[in-house]
Amino acid sequence: MSEPVANIDLLFRNGLKDFEVIPPPDVWDGISSSNKIKKRPLIFFRVAAVAAVLMTVGFLTFRLSRETGTVPDSVLAFNVEKSYPVISNEITRNKTISTKQITNISASAPSDRTEYMHPINIEKQAVSAESIVPLTAGRNLTLTKSESMVQSSLNPLQSSGSKTLNIIYSDLQYMPADKLMDRWSIAAMASPTYYSQFSSGNDAFSKELMESEQPLVSYSGGVAFSYKISKRFSIQSGLYYSSLGQKLEGINSFGGFKQFDNTKGDNNFEVPTTTGTIQASNPDVFLNSNASNRVVTPFTSNVFDPNKASLQYINSSLTQSFSYLELPVIVRYKIVDKTIGINLIGGLSYNLLVHNSVYTTIDGGKYPVGDTKGLNPLALSSSLGMGMEYNFSEKLSLNLEPTFRYYLNPFSVTTGSFIHPYSFGIFSGVSYKF
Amino acid sequence: MSEIKKIIKGCLAGNRRDQELLYRRHASKLYAVCLQYSGNDEEARDILQEGFIKIFANLDHYKNEGSFEGWMRKITVNTALEKFRSRHNLYRVDDIDSIKEPDAEPDNHDYAGLEANDLLDIIRELPTKYRMVFNLYAIEGYSHKEISKMVNISEGTSKSNLSRARVILQRRVGSYTGIKKKAVNE
Repeated sequence: MSEPVANIDLLFRNGLKDFEVIPPPDVWDGISSSNKIKKRPLIFFRVAAVAAVLMTVGFLTFRLSRETGTVPDSVLAFNVEKSYPVISNEITRNKTISTKQITNISASAPSDRTEYMHPINIEKQAVSAESIVPLTAGRNLTLTKSESMVQSSLNPLQSSGSKTLNIIYSDLQYMPADKLMDRWSIAAMASPTYYSQFSSGNDAFSKELMESEQPLVSYSGGVAFSYKISKRFSIQSGLYYSSLGQKLEGINSFGGFKQFDNTKGDNNFEVPTTTGTIQASNPDVFLNSNASNRVVTPFTSNVFDPNKASLQYINSSLTQSFSYLELPVIVRYKIVDKTIGINLIGGLSYNLLVHNSVYTTIDGGKYPVGDTKGLNPLALSSSLGMGMEYNFSEKLSLNLEPTFRYYLNPFSVTTGSFIHPYSFGIFSGVSYKF
Repeated sequence: MSEIKKIIKGCLAGNRRDQELLYRRHASKLYAVCLQYSGNDEEARDILQEGFIKIFANLDHYKNEGSFEGWMRKITVNTALEKFRSRHNLYRVDDIDSIKEPDAEPDNHDYAGLEANDLLDIIRELPTKYRMVFNLYAIEGYSHKEISKMVNISEGTSKSNLSRARVILQRRVGSYTGIKKKAVNE
């Protein structure tokens, strides 16, 4: 081997030793999403979420089937004042009602006609056992024209000279009970939101990150529709817009770096956070920190000094801002149904990430830095709250709902360590029933 | 326990933050290796991604013997080799005579002014087989016998490829230094 040839080997070996090139930012996304990498199981949270959904669906199905299905043992009670039959489940709970006191609607029983209505009870306009007419087993609640015998069966009352019960055929058409109350309501709600995170585990790095992060008071608001499925239960959905954020202390930012940047990579600075990794896409921004490992960059302090290069110092903190569109499925249970009503609120929400930015501030204005990579585009959250409702008319009410929200999956898919965000907000607004 | 051992332990426990930290610390160095072994950025990116997936999947096989960085580099080089072998039939070794002669005069003894970036560009311009043999022999330190098994060629071919690679590299380096000197003088 001749001398120059050996030199060429050494030239490349030594020249490329310790050489570094920042890889494209999406490489880590590909690695982290690979199922070959061991990941900490999130089975508990998944099982909890599935169980919550199943319980909600099961409960609603149960309630709805009880109220709208064919109910063989339901009875029709004549509400004389309103002159139409209504379902009265409460009557069925009265154990003193005997079959003798109750008369079936049946054209084949003309001899029993006088038992259909007790004149005294009609006078009192009270719904009593005597005035109750049960449906025959398996019969649908809706009366049809073939049941016109009801009218004829009541004629004896008129001919007997007693108080006249003026029931015409059209009155006997089944009127659903929901005609009696406003089942739907629409509400506009807004709330300031305090956002923070739970961390379980002993990950020192995660704790270090959390200590440098300050949650910001954000806001949430939107429109909600609710449907009353019974006197106490209602189900609610709608569309909310939530803005969250946090401030990272100890990250110094400088402007005017573009002229010194001669690297091929398009992102020179990365800052790991509990919600993902900040990537500085603004080529004019230089970032550094006093703490080790906070800013990942090839422009370390021994490579580049922002003060010597006379870069403009901007700020010592960065702000991460995220916005979500939220689609909730909430169940409300009314504990107190008075002028001031109290509700228990619980449910799940799907949160769709719609905005993600990182900025610092200079002279009160925003100076863009980049964004946070690895954020989950869809987050599932559970919420629990207590709603107070002041009804200042039959249709309008004022609502105040302190609500705690816990995110079942972390915002970020690239960071781990069982960090789960939560938020607390006091929603207030007006609702209209119809 | 040293910091790297803590990170490795966290990775083995499935801690995503430690996995990301490991990646952030070593990705730049390993990406330079990937670029050195590949002709295009897309391939280098794939090698880095596959290499890291293997690193994470095989971390439990790392016995804390020797340099961890060296262990990761070995996996990365093996990944590049696998990629090379899988595409072996697609690569064409250009005939040495068809490679264009550099315009500037070669300067074998003065390599001053050449930066790592320049060296990387020069090595990536080599035909694939030459680049592979040169990297394995001159940079990684494998013997021709080992290379012949790794690349699936004969020892003679390995020697011949190395020799041709060196000639091309010398010319390119000469060209680069010549051009740079010219630029400085002007």
